[in-house]
Amino acid sequence: MSALLYKAWRETRVRFLAGLAAVAIICIFQIEQHHTHDFSHSGWAGLGIPDDYGFFLWQYLYVYFLQQGWALFAVLLALDGLIREKASGTVSFSLGLPVSRKRWMFTRLAVVLMESAALSLFVVLVVIVGSAVIHQTFSLSQVFLHAVLMVAAGVIVIALGNLCYALFPGNYRSLLVALALLGVPYLWIQRHVQRTRVTDLPEPFRARAALQLTRLRVPHQPWWAHFDLAHAMAGPWQLNLTTTPWVALLVIWTLTALVLAVTAAHGDRIDY
Amino acid sequence: MAAVIETVELKKNYGKHEAVRGLNLSVQAGSVCAFLGQNGAGKTTTIKMLLGMVHPSSGTGSVFGRRIDNENDSLLIRQKVAFVAEDKRLYDYMTVEEIVRFTKTFFPRWNHDFERRLMEQFDLPPKRKIRELSKGMRTKLALLLGFARGCELLILDEPTEGLDPVAVEDVLQIVVSMTAEGTTVFFSSHQIVEVEQIADHVLMIDRGQLVMDAPMDQVKEQYRHIQAVFPDPVDERDFRLPGIETIQAKGCAVSLVASHNVDSILEHVHMLRATNVDVVPLSLKEIFLGKVKARS
Repeated sequence: MSALLYKAWRETRVRFLAGLAAVAIICIFQIEQHHTHDFSHSGWAGLGIPDDYGFFLWQYLYVYFLQQGWALFAVLLALDGLIREKASGTVSFSLGLPVSRKRWMFTRLAVVLMESAALSLFVVLVVIVGSAVIHQTFSLSQVFLHAVLMVAAGVIVIALGNLCYALFPGNYRSLLVALALLGVPYLWIQRHVQRTRVTDLPEPFRARAALQLTRLRVPHQPWWAHFDLAHAMAGPWQLNLTTTPWVALLVIWTLTALVLAVTAAHGDRIDY
Repeated sequence: MAAVIETVELKKNYGKHEAVRGLNLSVQAGSVCAFLGQNGAGKTTTIKMLLGMVHPSSGTGSVFGRRIDNENDSLLIRQKVAFVAEDKRLYDYMTVEEIVRFTKTFFPRWNHDFERRLMEQFDLPPKRKIRELSKGMRTKLALLLGFARGCELLILDEPTEGLDPVAVEDVLQIVVSMTAEGTTVFFSSHQIVEVEQIADHVLMIDRGQLVMDAPMDQVKEQYRHIQAVFPDPVDERDFRLPGIETIQAKGCAVSLVASHNVDSILEHVHMLRATNVDVVPLSLKEIFLGKVKARS
């Protein structure tokens, strides 16, 4: 097993290191923005939310830029497997070893998951250092929990990326299909459920925001809000056991299991 | 002797193209079985089906009594089989010693002494990246990774391609020594001289169908080229007898390739009042070319 893990690591480490650099740049850029810009007149401030550094980290990292950067690298890391080896000519050697195709696939995905988790945890480290540099304080447990949630909900990004690579071999083709498959519903759902995010705010900010947004009507979420991947990955501002989006996570994990089962079944049928 | 490899009506279609058409073959334990055929004859597809890399369209096959179309059985087959693929492509980001270390973890019976001996004999640089190796060195490394597995069956697809004559001789000697220790060898090759040197059984495939399945001794003893001259022009139809593989009639002369039944054929030729009859043994290369030409 360790040999397979080692091989998968060797094959993905360049992309992983690029991912580390990318998420670090995103975090440093956003922290620097907070340091040099005044956010007290931002839209959120208009809803009665104070210029809170913890809120800023959640909003600008976990809701938007970091989440998108992380998802991009999760897809890039997942574009791999025996299909790639078929193109490079090493698949005959790999499949000549007494290792099942499913084991090849799941070992590789385990490494990708660990690397994706490492990217997410690396962000926590960057935030700690960056915040210290600009003399800001925040809840470390909240940042950590958001990092964990991003990976927990983001597993479907990895699974879909891997499926796309299996169905549409080729780096660019599979990347484009994966981005379209994830990006289109991502943007569409964002457009429709954006306002429901106000419900993620803790009291008293939620009540204040609801008063100011007179058009806000969110008595209950539509069914497709459970497919709001961005929302599930970001979670609410104040994350704990009761505010964790468990239903969305269960939906995502079920879909992930289905996607993995389809990928494995497809992989078993391929002639190398 | 028990059959290590067996296939029954094994077929593989790629769309409308029939790569393998109803192959029935059997490889006995302890033998060195050569698998001959032109490019595109279906050799590599057959080997890949035996190892579970390609799924048969129909028919069945087994290796060590385990079904080749069953995923769990295929895994058990690959524990006992060392396969060296035709292209010898390995993970080019690893060094020689890294890929040796990687490969040996999958084979509990890995022969460490043999590995060290082959590293020296093949002059392989342990620290060098595979991408920096020449084609010959990469072939040697791929063969080392196959030979040292301590497996019961060695499947080699064009094992000596890209090797210099000295290395070819070394590899053939190693194959022979492994056979002496009980390993069964099933190998495809275009180098018919090598096949004649080490094989004790020959399987020949052409356009997906088996056209020869015979022990090497029998091939050498029984295949004969018969050339006869007659006083009057003859027709090919006069020579359609059991044992005659190919017939070429030109005017008063006829050229026959016989796989067996040579005495009866000669009797028939004399009965047709041949004035001059020559009988010469055939090399495997001539037999191979004869088979391929006859079918085309």
